[in-house]
Amino acid sequence: MSTTEIHSNGRKRLEGDVAIVSGGSRGIGSAVVRKLASEGASVVFTYNQNKESAEKIVSELRAAGAQVECLPCSIRDGESVKKVVEGTLEKFGRVDILVNNAGIIRDGLFLTMEEDAWNDVLNTNVGGTFLFSKAVCEHMVFQKKGRIINMSSMVSKTGSVGQANYAASKGAINAFTKALAAELASKGVTVNAVAPGLVATEMIENVKGLAGDLTKRIPCGRFAEPEEVASLISFLASKEAAYITGQVILIDGGLSLQARR
Amino acid sequence: MEKTKEQIFQGVRDCLVNALGVSENQVTLDSSLVKDLGAESIDFLDVVFRLEKTFGIKIPRGDLFPENLLTNPAFVKDGKITPAGLTELKRKLSHVDFTSFGESPQVSRLSDIFTVGMIVDYLAEKTSVKAKI
Repeated sequence: MSTTEIHSNGRKRLEGDVAIVSGGSRGIGSAVVRKLASEGASVVFTYNQNKESAEKIVSELRAAGAQVECLPCSIRDGESVKKVVEGTLEKFGRVDILVNNAGIIRDGLFLTMEEDAWNDVLNTNVGGTFLFSKAVCEHMVFQKKGRIINMSSMVSKTGSVGQANYAASKGAINAFTKALAAELASKGVTVNAVAPGLVATEMIENVKGLAGDLTKRIPCGRFAEPEEVASLISFLASKEAAYITGQVILIDGGLSLQARR
Repeated sequence: MEKTKEQIFQGVRDCLVNALGVSENQVTLDSSLVKDLGAESIDFLDVVFRLEKTFGIKIPRGDLFPENLLTNPAFVKDGKITPAGLTELKRKLSHVDFTSFGESPQVSRLSDIFTVGMIVDYLAEKTSVKAKI
């Protein structure tokens, strides 16, 4: 588990809160699950295919005393999403935090991009964010407390060759974040997005040769660790962030500045 | 068992106090949700959620408060609700008395019809129907 912050009152920062994290079995998602659990939240996370990896995380975190569950979910299927939210309410009685992390990429140059690749990415990334947000909103409004944190990307701001579909999906998530934030602010529900640049995940590890070149373009001189993105999400999920809403927060080591090193 | 109007009012008042953050004594049958209690668009949904939980009923969206009516050009013209719009309002909100509003159907006056008493009447009708079923 990552570093835990114990407040002066002896309580962990997210103690008593219940979080749902979509796509929590690997990469940034698993770091988010670990971080929220270490901060005292009860966490339900979803996985699509990586059951083994998801169950391993559950066992590890439970052994450390955390309350964690994993559930299979297809985030494009409204019924599947509803089951996760209902399951969470049944088990823990509330939902305080939603992290819309699950998403896919199907990169390719636009000139050769099939309609299927466009729809797949938009329907999963934007559709999944819509369905999960929709499923928790009523509960959050009712309890007058909630944190929705959407996973965006630096490319939503900068664009990226070969990622027209992915960049469009993340741009839509940014706009969705702002619109929903405006609707829910008076009900004590904040909605923000986190837009990472390059993060050291397995996916990036697989193209390490390329990664060497990319590092030179990052002012901070390195990729982000998944735990650093998780820490930002954990802060946005906390009470301390109650006055931050409708923001898309870049966490990119300065990459979007396009500064020369 | 069928609730009395007073019991319904008390339930409605609790919902409004929780949803809008107003005090109990601000809520009377004549209170306008918008003018007197400061309700905004999201509050109408919040109120519906709370009424559903309190009274154990399902309120179809648009049943208690109309949705999307003002964005239909057939129903709104020059800042007024058209006759077709008024007919639609009466059809959707059969529990509301439109006599006064119909005399001067300005869009700006539409929020006046949403009173605490109107919610109580709606629920009285709805829960009575439920009891009969």
